Amino acid sequence: MIRLEGVTKTYKGEVVALRDATAEIQRGEFVFLVGPSGSGKSTFLRLVNREELATAGTIMVAGKDVGTLSSWKVPYLRRSIGYVFQDYKLLPKKTVAENVAFALEVIGRPRPVIRRKVPAILDLVGLSRKSERFPEELSGGEQQRVSIARAFVNQPLILLADEPTGNLDQATSVGIMRLLDRINRSGTTVLMATHDRGIVDTMRRRVIELDRGVVVRDESRGVYE
Amino acid sequence: MVFRVWYFLRETLVSLWRNLSLTLAAILTVAISLSLVGSSLLIREGAERATAQFQEGVEFIVFMNADVLSEQDVAIRDVLDTSPAIAEYTYIDKAAAYQEFRELFSDKPELVESVTPDIMPPSYRIVPANPDADNVAELARQFGEQPGVKEVATATEAIRQIEDFSTRVSQALLFAAVVLVAVSAVLILNTVFTAIGARREEIEVMKLVGATNWFIRIPFMLEGTIHGIFGAAMAIPALFVVDNRVLAYFQESEAVPLFRGFAVPDGYVWNTSIWMLVIGAAIGMVGSAIAVTRYLDV
Repeated sequence: MIRLEGVTKTYKGEVVALRDATAEIQRGEFVFLVGPSGSGKSTFLRLVNREELATAGTIMVAGKDVGTLSSWKVPYLRRSIGYVFQDYKLLPKKTVAENVAFALEVIGRPRPVIRRKVPAILDLVGLSRKSERFPEELSGGEQQRVSIARAFVNQPLILLADEPTGNLDQATSVGIMRLLDRINRSGTTVLMATHDRGIVDTMRRRVIELDRGVVVRDESRGVYE
Repeated sequence: MVFRVWYFLRETLVSLWRNLSLTLAAILTVAISLSLVGSSLLIREGAERATAQFQEGVEFIVFMNADVLSEQDVAIRDVLDTSPAIAEYTYIDKAAAYQEFRELFSDKPELVESVTPDIMPPSYRIVPANPDADNVAELARQFGEQPGVKEVATATEAIRQIEDFSTRVSQALLFAAVVLVAVSAVLILNTVFTAIGARREEIEVMKLVGATNWFIRIPFMLEGTIHGIFGAAMAIPALFVVDNRVLAYFQESEAVPLFRGFAVPDGYVWNTSIWMLVIGAAIGMVGSAIAVTRYLDV
């Protein structure tokens, strides 16, 4: 599903964010990307989503070489990838339901589809009763659920999550992880960057560790360190 | 598809409304610059029509009184037929003059109704043997002294006046117009840029979930195009004001007899209006296209 071969990413020709990274993630896997700040976790995710292009090496996502993908095809690649952020990136002037519907609207899905899917996904993340609230009226955990609903509503093949529990307390994080686990069990490949030791150690999933841009460890059912 | 159209319209209108002061500034600038473009075109067209009678070598026209006596008319014709100074001439009788008047003012039926063939002055359009300005002036003076002659219009004087006037005015207007058109395009670019800035978060999310570039661009380009079209629409009434007040002022002017022909039919004003809408839409599209390509890429 995701394959990196000898991928190097340098910024402005000097800062090395990722150095000769190689990894392969199969369909349906749940993978933690761990390492200290600045180790290249976010770059890894941004390369998969083609928000950035690799300086060297090949990246295959869902069977496509993202390095040679023409720019007009990028949106179609992104439709098969959901993205969840530490800071949620919800639109403050839209309600919960509108935020989720927005993701379908802007890729031109017909309205009947939107009307059917939005309540279903809000039900899945447990926010049916708050669909008319605005983001600022929700707790951090609830906002992250909206963000996950938005990322997942189009049933992507891959879900990328960049520190999704970074702003949440322990109890709330557990709830978010249950949700991501459930999404993973439905067949979606989940790649999550984190430095939440507790979560990684509890879940015991595959762990890819980065240190200063280098993949230093890749073990299935791994722990944080 | 219907849904998409609705989406684009909604987003465009919301954006226009959020950005109201800049939107109004952009629309007004387009309106002013296109009014100048249109006025310049009208004045040119007016001048061309006013001088249309002086084509094919005609250097001066002798207008007879409408109630000219037939012996006075015969005397003039006699001079024209025998004088070696006259190469050829055409006689425009009352009926032909009336016909010409009707054609010239075909879009002003009230004006046409106010005249009848019998009050039209018959005239002689004269091609002199020697088109030298001094010679023409001398001939005109001589004909002007003949009994039954109402007035003599010479091409050299009248055309020079009209052409000078129209060239200078329309060039000045056109120059100002070109500058203002550029200013409006830049203003639209800035307005659209501001609109993009105001929706940066939304655009980020749109890119993230896989909206195509065109889907993101279209509302902004529509916004710019609407600035252009609304501005042009506001300039259209201004054109009719120019037609009805400014051009009409010259038509009524006693100083230069030929300015009386200084009229453009409403049809021409409407054609110019359509061109202005096209130009306005083009300005808006170009301005907003620059803004979206510069600030919206993947």
